Amino acid sequence: MENLKEKVAQLEDYIMKKCLWQFHSRAWDRKTQNENILKKATQLLCDEPVELETPADRCYWADALSLTEGFRSRYEWLTAMSKEDIKLLMQGLKERIDFVTITGSLNAELTDPRY
Amino acid sequence: MPYHEFECSKCIPERKKHAVVKGPGEDLTHALPLGYLNTIPGSISERGCAYCGAKHVIGTPMKDVIHLSHGPVGCTYDTWQTKRYTSDNDNFQLKYTFASDVKEKHIVFGAEKVLKQNIIEAFKAFPEIKRMTIYQTCATALIGDDVDAIADEVMEEMPDVDIFVCNSPGFAGPSQSGGHHKINIAWIKKKVGTVEPKITGDYVINYVGEYNIQGDQEVMIDYFNRMGVQVLSTFTGNGSYDDLRAMHGAHLNVLECARSAEYICNELKVKYGIPRLDIEGFGFEPLSASLRKIGLFFGIEDRAQTIIDEETARWKPELDWYKERLKGKKVCLWPGGSKLWHWANVLHEEMGVDIVSVYTKFGHQGDMEKGIARCEVGALAFDDPNELEGLEAMMTLKPDIIFTGKRPGEVAKKIRVPYLNAHAYHNGPYKGYEGWVRFARDIYNAIYSPIHQLSNLDISNDEISIGTGFQTAKMLSDVNLSDEVVSSATLRQYTGKYDSVSDLRKKTYPEFKK
Ligand code: SF4
Repeated sequence: MENLKEKVAQLEDYIMKKCLWQFHSRAWDRKTQNENILKKATQLLCDEPVELETPADRCYWADALSLTEGFRSRYEWLTAMSKEDIKLLMQGLKERIDFVTITGSLNAELTDPRY
Repeated sequence: MPYHEFECSKCIPERKKHAVVKGPGEDLTHALPLGYLNTIPGSISERGCAYCGAKHVIGTPMKDVIHLSHGPVGCTYDTWQTKRYTSDNDNFQLKYTFASDVKEKHIVFGAEKVLKQNIIEAFKAFPEIKRMTIYQTCATALIGDDVDAIADEVMEEMPDVDIFVCNSPGFAGPSQSGGHHKINIAWIKKKVGTVEPKITGDYVINYVGEYNIQGDQEVMIDYFNRMGVQVLSTFTGNGSYDDLRAMHGAHLNVLECARSAEYICNELKVKYGIPRLDIEGFGFEPLSASLRKIGLFFGIEDRAQTIIDEETARWKPELDWYKERLKGKKVCLWPGGSKLWHWANVLHEEMGVDIVSVYTKFGHQGDMEKGIARCEVGALAFDDPNELEGLEAMMTLKPDIIFTGKRPGEVAKKIRVPYLNAHAYHNGPYKGYEGWVRFARDIYNAIYSPIHQLSNLDISNDEISIGTGFQTAKMLSDVNLSDEVVSSATLRQYTGKYDSVSDLRKKTYPEFKK
């Protein structure tokens, strides 16, 4: 468990320092961004097919692919993990990113109903 | 992440919630500075007004437009020529500024008549320009002038002109950011969708939140052209009024300064279903990732990769020459809104400097989230700084350089801290691979200029050595470097031209088959 937490922390640090997609300005946008990009990233890491039907899908996928390339180049331990473990890891990462950017966020503008 | 109280601001206790120190093992949910609030009375802010944010930051970089402020001449004058948003039409929008020149008598009797006269006069003085934006200011907003009605009257009388009215007087928000918001929303409501897009390529983007500071936009457009991507409009640097009316025709919105322009991207997503991709033009790694993502979106990532490989091979050895000499230098990264997060991590990674503080004059809490997330533990982050806090931070953190605007920059010089202009640049452009090297070169020149050795001496106190007069930047920077680095055959100083932009305007690009 500690090991998983430590790995999640490393991936979280990468996202926080290198990505911008998790910081859209409203809670609902952050929710869709986190959901779609991390879902597609999990599929990519597990060699599963990724849906690319709509322009929105392609946009999430571009961010997800860039993310997984970054993960793979920095964290060698990823290659040794089984698909089940990767899914657990990415689920933990999603929970953590949702917490830091949405549910635990102190940003008072997240719930403003208008842009 | 404890909140930080400045000694000088103990008399304004509310300020404490606007500053935090990033602590070890802590995250954004522990503390976040307040942001985008009215400046606390007693704190002498460095902010601009909402009119300035609308006009000076977003409106006026549009190049083929008469930009007319409806108000006293001071509002116009003070938002003129302090930011270098150049353009490829001989800088029309920089050379000229227009005002309706409202005086006391107009405040009493109304200023609509004088506005109409001025609009017509301006169009007659520049008959080749058929587009105009009018910016409301405090005085004319308070007397209730109906600028829209006057604009409609003129458009009826002069059918070949088009006018956009931006109703964002100085008081319409806590800072310039209120004006960014107002003009974004007004543009999509009033102008987007009123011109049919001219689609010439297979892959079409709007480039949003880019203001062509010293040619940034033209550098990025060069990459997009080399990829065969059509840039339908740029919001707004070097951008054309009518192109921006056709923004609804793009396949993708590529967003750079989210602080000033995410509103229009979000609205374009809701209204027209155009996805928003946040990109970064600063720094080798973020820029490469951004070009690659745009390539991936359109299925042309190989074209992006060619550019990344070419540009990295050409410029990386020069960036690394500076990195060797900038390692460990302490930086206060004190820009206006978005550069604290664009630059915080990549400066550390690619130039080796340590960001000891970030601040934002007009950013929102979202900008602080991004900025704090990207800087290292120990950094001091604060919102809406005042001059005394800036001075206190410099005295305690002892930075080697600060990146900020002109006003706080001059203050820093007085206490012998070199500064680079983060808003309008020193010798930009700073975007693009070459631009990033130009930035490194400017940082190097600022830190190692021998003038700082001299200016740090107190001739009334210090012993002045008269035997060692001659110094150069290189003598100062190389003193502790290994021989291997100093005599490296691969690393080299910047070898680009003084003007890195003009040649781009003459370039031709290959046609790509579908
Ligand atoms: S605050 Fe009002 S009066 Fe002052 S510059 Fe801004 S618009 Fe003009």
